[in-house]
Amino acid sequence: MLVRSLLIATSLSLLSSCSATTDDIIEKADNLFKQVTGQPDVIEVEDRTTSNVSDNSTSSNSTEENIIVADNSAYTSEGSESQSNSSDNSTSNSSSSTASSESLQSDSTVTKVEVKKAVIIEKTVLDKLKDSGLQFTLYFSYDGFDIDDESTKDIIEHANFMRDNPGVKLRLEGHADERGTREYNLALGENRALSVKEVLGLYDLSPRIDVVSYGEEKPISTKHDESAWKKNRRVEFIYQ
Amino acid sequence: MKKIFIFCFACYVGIANAVLEVTILKQSEDAFPIVIAPFEVVGNANQGKEIAKIMSDNFNRSGRFSASRGLRVLKTVDDINFKAWQANNTEAIVFGRVEQVSKTIFNVWVYLYDTYSRKRLYADKFAVHNSGIRRISHFLSDRIYDALLGEKGSFDTRLAYVTVVNLKNGKREYRLEISDSDAQNPQAILKSNDPILSPAWSPDQRKIAYVSFRNSRSEVFIQYPFERRKTRKLPYFDGIASSPSWHPSGESILLTLSKSGNKDIYSYDLNTEKITRITKDSGIDTEASYSSDGKRIVFTSNRSGQVQVYIKDLTTGKISRATFEGKYNAKAVFSPDGKQLAMVHRVGTDYRIALLDIKTRDLTVITSNKLDESPYFSPNGGMIIFATSKDDHGVLSVVSIIGGQTFELASKIGEVREPNWSHYLK
Repeated sequence: MLVRSLLIATSLSLLSSCSATTDDIIEKADNLFKQVTGQPDVIEVEDRTTSNVSDNSTSSNSTEENIIVADNSAYTSEGSESQSNSSDNSTSNSSSSTASSESLQSDSTVTKVEVKKAVIIEKTVLDKLKDSGLQFTLYFSYDGFDIDDESTKDIIEHANFMRDNPGVKLRLEGHADERGTREYNLALGENRALSVKEVLGLYDLSPRIDVVSYGEEKPISTKHDESAWKKNRRVEFIYQ
Repeated sequence: MKKIFIFCFACYVGIANAVLEVTILKQSEDAFPIVIAPFEVVGNANQGKEIAKIMSDNFNRSGRFSASRGLRVLKTVDDINFKAWQANNTEAIVFGRVEQVSKTIFNVWVYLYDTYSRKRLYADKFAVHNSGIRRISHFLSDRIYDALLGEKGSFDTRLAYVTVVNLKNGKREYRLEISDSDAQNPQAILKSNDPILSPAWSPDQRKIAYVSFRNSRSEVFIQYPFERRKTRKLPYFDGIASSPSWHPSGESILLTLSKSGNKDIYSYDLNTEKITRITKDSGIDTEASYSSDGKRIVFTSNRSGQVQVYIKDLTTGKISRATFEGKYNAKAVFSPDGKQLAMVHRVGTDYRIALLDIKTRDLTVITSNKLDESPYFSPNGGMIIFATSKDDHGVLSVVSIIGGQTFELASKIGEVREPNWSHYLK
């Protein structure tokens, strides 16, 4: 396969070779992870926002919990458990969190403000993620599902984001260009999404990832040339 | 009564919009000239006039005949001027009669004569309900085809295909449609805003298996177009379920499943719901289908590092590579006699339809387009239907294996793709 050999030729090929062992991959990924992020374990949230909540809360996890609240508000489909708890404990509206209502012992309006702030921060985090030039769509070579270096860096940043935001779930949609048969392309699209999931899996994120393939059925460009095909051979990151 | 009329009218409008346009693009070089005389009509039997037209259109599409419509009604064999037809190089003559028996029942007589020997090759009489005129025309076409060539025709059969229309709201409408073999009498049996793939007629013509993304992932369904019966969803395992293909017995279905991400071929027993693994390879295995005796399956695999076609002998369990020419061969299907494969074959940057002689490994590219896919044999093996792109627009194309006659099926309002040809109707 021409594509594969080209990728191997690039010096920093991460997952390009099927013969690479898992350990190799993890080590390489970890190195890249550090290169890209500096300190991987620090959760980046602006001080101003976290202080309001963390002053009153007892555990060091509060920052993270607050983000969960934000996630719940921003992505309404997730985290119904904490919301139902809060409505059991207090008469506050459903957007208040267990953590806030229990530890703060404040009235619901205050909590609401806190949550609103958290939502704004959360949006900032997502915006920042997007503004940082991070790709939400990764592209692939013809009939290929190998991840190149550039994409690996992007995936690791996504991994960071997901680790910082434990309530977030990710749907990876694999796609193919129109060339070749539809059923084969359906399989190929899944392989592409699975390649991305494999890297994210190194950060224990697999349980939060749903993989689907649309094959060649949902092209970005419906033209019939390489510039169109390039755009269509892709995996899309859809946060839920 | 009024209600019925309105209903029928509505149906007619819907159908008129959806009929695919049939255009013969290339005439066969080896066509056998025949004449189909207009049928004699006795009583109020105007529907009977359709018969000669449907039959001559059938013969002309087949690539084996060049049928002209006679001008004069022939009542008996004595009306045939054999010498004149011989001078005209016409090899055979069809004529017949339609007679009204009751309000909805007609008797149909049909005769076939050889112009040179002046012998009667075929004659028959049927009683037909008004609604069966099209069906009897296809049935008689098959009989005449058989009488002249000694092989079955593929006229009394159905097609299934997917149409795609871009809606004004930016969405797409996918329709799974079925029609007669001449693209007439189309019916949409499923409409969806999500993609529909790989329709496949069951061997008994009562069911259609297909892939739908209605639940935001590829899943296989079985629908019963002629029965009030709930659509059946086949199991999937957290990945893709796709590429359905029936066992000749109709009792089981081949599927591509990606259990734990690895795409392999499985057989799913529709009665016991038991799943049997057919292939086991770390690469992609998909697009499997049976030979008509059910003893072999052909499938696409990238196990060699290239996309190629493989055959598994189900008696010995042995898997052997079938294609060695070209870097991309996929979606192969067995010819009804099991001797050949039709497949998608890449030539340079183009994807074309090729025929492979399994024994000699001779590969013949039979199309010259850029983006052909989904080849499927007519049930007599005489023609191959496939999807292609014409002026950036998806159409179906049918090519005859003898003579290379080509005709196209196109929709005025959208794209047509994913063709499948039924077996003979029962």
